[in-house]
Amino acid sequence: MKLHEIVKNTETYVAERFPVEKMSYSAMVEKKEVPVHRVSWAYYMGGLALYFFSVQVVTGLLLLFYYQPTVSDAHASVEFITEHVPGGALVRNMHAWASSLMIGAVMIHLLTSFAMKAFAKPREITWVTGVMLLGITFALGFTGYLLPWHQVAVNATKIGLQSIEEVGQYLPGAMAEWPRIVKEIIQGEAAVGQATLSRFFALHVIILPLSIIGVLGMHLLSVQLHGMSKGIDGTPTRHEKFFPTFFMKDLSVWGVAFIILFVISLTIPFESLYSYPLFEPFNSKGSTPDGIKPEWYFYFIYYPLELLPYWVILVGSGLLGAILMGTPWIFKNTSRKTLQILAILAAIYLVVMTVFGEQIYHMFKA
Amino acid sequence: MVDAFLFIGLPYLALVICVVGCIWRSRYKKFSMSARSSQFLEDGKLLFGSLPWHIGIITILLGHLIAAVVPRVWSSLMSVPAILFSVEAIGVACSLLAIVGLTTLIIRRITDARVQAVTTSMDLVVVLLLMAQIIVGLLTAVFYPYGANWSTGTVVPYFWGLVTLHPDMSYVTGFPMLFKLHIIGAWILIALVPFTRLMHVLAVPLGYIFRAPQIVLWNNARRRRVAVEATARAESRRDFIKGAVGVTGATALLALGISDKVLTYFKGPDPDPEAESALLQKKLERLQQTAEERQIELERQKNAMILVARYSELEESQGKYFIDYAMAPGLAFLGKDSLPLLISAKCTHLGCTVGSQVNSEGQILCPCHVSYFNIVTGEPNPGAPAKVPLPHLAWALIDANGETIASAKASGEVSGSSDPAVFAQCRLYITQPVSTSI
Repeated sequence: MKLHEIVKNTETYVAERFPVEKMSYSAMVEKKEVPVHRVSWAYYMGGLALYFFSVQVVTGLLLLFYYQPTVSDAHASVEFITEHVPGGALVRNMHAWASSLMIGAVMIHLLTSFAMKAFAKPREITWVTGVMLLGITFALGFTGYLLPWHQVAVNATKIGLQSIEEVGQYLPGAMAEWPRIVKEIIQGEAAVGQATLSRFFALHVIILPLSIIGVLGMHLLSVQLHGMSKGIDGTPTRHEKFFPTFFMKDLSVWGVAFIILFVISLTIPFESLYSYPLFEPFNSKGSTPDGIKPEWYFYFIYYPLELLPYWVILVGSGLLGAILMGTPWIFKNTSRKTLQILAILAAIYLVVMTVFGEQIYHMFKA
Repeated sequence: MVDAFLFIGLPYLALVICVVGCIWRSRYKKFSMSARSSQFLEDGKLLFGSLPWHIGIITILLGHLIAAVVPRVWSSLMSVPAILFSVEAIGVACSLLAIVGLTTLIIRRITDARVQAVTTSMDLVVVLLLMAQIIVGLLTAVFYPYGANWSTGTVVPYFWGLVTLHPDMSYVTGFPMLFKLHIIGAWILIALVPFTRLMHVLAVPLGYIFRAPQIVLWNNARRRRVAVEATARAESRRDFIKGAVGVTGATALLALGISDKVLTYFKGPDPDPEAESALLQKKLERLQQTAEERQIELERQKNAMILVARYSELEESQGKYFIDYAMAPGLAFLGKDSLPLLISAKCTHLGCTVGSQVNSEGQILCPCHVSYFNIVTGEPNPGAPAKVPLPHLAWALIDANGETIASAKASGEVSGSSDPAVFAQCRLYITQPVSTSI
């Protein structure tokens, strides 16, 4: 191919993904329509994730006024927020619960978008930015988990970071040391300590939110540019206007989500799902307490990690990441029927691993 | 005698006339139960007459009514000077407003021919009486100020005496003439209610607030079209206003609630001395703990040997934790051969700290992923997640004189004495690993 052809093809490609003629208020808001059919509920998932993200921003900013990211004060400051600051327990609970709800919404959003083939041309960019957002969201969950500096937080982070080092055993020669070096770059010192806390704090509060906002901007722009994907085979019989009809419905869903979140946060402390010793301040000299686990949304990879040889997980998750990134091209010609079956299988796997992971683990390990 | 008539006879007479008359009028002249509208004869001056008049008079009447109905609440409110002054000021302002409005209405009624056409003589009587009544009221307020306060002990008991059929005019006979006139005027006005447009006080068109607007106009094709458009416009405006009021109200409430919570959140807890000292204590302990850790780290960089425990403290089945030269946890046991047994407690799988309790098979457990390590060999049990044995650590036993009695290298090679009797006085140290230069 000649150079000018490459340039031309690239131009066409970009122009299809970012149609400049549609970059107007009238095309992106006034004229946008949302198909109405039996899986229309899936169109709310992205908005819901966005909503929980904004809850995270607001509650996170509130927490920032009291939280102190040092190994001696972090745990005490979190306790101070929960026990002494007026409304502090509510704010912290909302932050904790909304993180879970956000990840839940993001996962459902991923599966439904996959099943509806919402990644098909010209929506590849939307999909790829979405996968990036998923990664950042998980990274936010992982970094945020360390900040309270209690036993479960530090030990789970240790295990998570140690698994990077484990890659070393499969690498030849001097390369075997590389994963350890990467791990130490992330944690900032030989063991998880003050440097790790500072780094995770910076990641959780500044770097990841900033990058999420950047990628999210791209994601939302593409969504508004291309409109909702029709989501089903055949033509939807009915459409409704995005603004104000669908938007108002979106707001109502957010209202309901807020009420649910508020009631849960008011009544169920996030820690109540674990036994107390896990929430004592981290003690570097004592033994690791029983029952160290990551957050529930990592169970789908945590329990297999416990059960299977490490290389299986490595290859598996590497493949999964590649497939997710390449979905728009890999499943280009796959029918919606097949995609739906795949999505349902994935959903079953996620639910089973998350809910029954521990039982499965004990079944094979007993 | 005259007083008795004016303050007992007249009131009952007025009340009877009013009640009977109102019933009669509502039974037999149902459609006259209002003030006859003259809006579509003249609606320019009406706005500037009717509106101030009604705003003023309704406010004032409400003040009278509340003071009469709940005198104790009212007087306790009026005992606060700021409230009393405000109420007095509002009263005077409203009566001035009412006077301005009423004056406009009078001028309108006597200058506009079209309005005159629908004016009855009773209308004029009422309007002049009202004017007199309100001027007398205003003068009372000016010459005998703080009536909002003193009325609760005088006029109000008089009024309740009449209502409960125990009339007692002694409350009012001593009043100055001006105020007596105000009371008499009130009874006369009450007596006139059934015969005049005052009747509309009893037929307040509250429904008007909620119903769609109706426009009265001359009937022809063009006016009809205009009316339809005007009605549609007015209706959509009403809807918008209703919606806006709702949204604004809800937002205001929400903002109030949120700002209340957020402000107290930012303000922080009220310092309760006990809780605060407990908190400081805790923070201090944590700081000391951190300082200790730093201390340990520094020691390991500087010292060739680190104290672990006294030899006599070691046990076979229960390890003692210490921090080794790599800042990782280690465990010290008493071996079967009476020599110390020092082993790393950092699990070779994912770095958890291994437990210190030895089980019957001579193993210690890593709780994270259930690996059992033999403390003598360091080997994990077959099938455990951990594949690599826990390394042993180099140690030295030093006696009270600082002499090295026995020592072991990380490889397990022991040198020196092996007599437990000598060890009893010794302290156990870990020794710095021979630096494997990079």
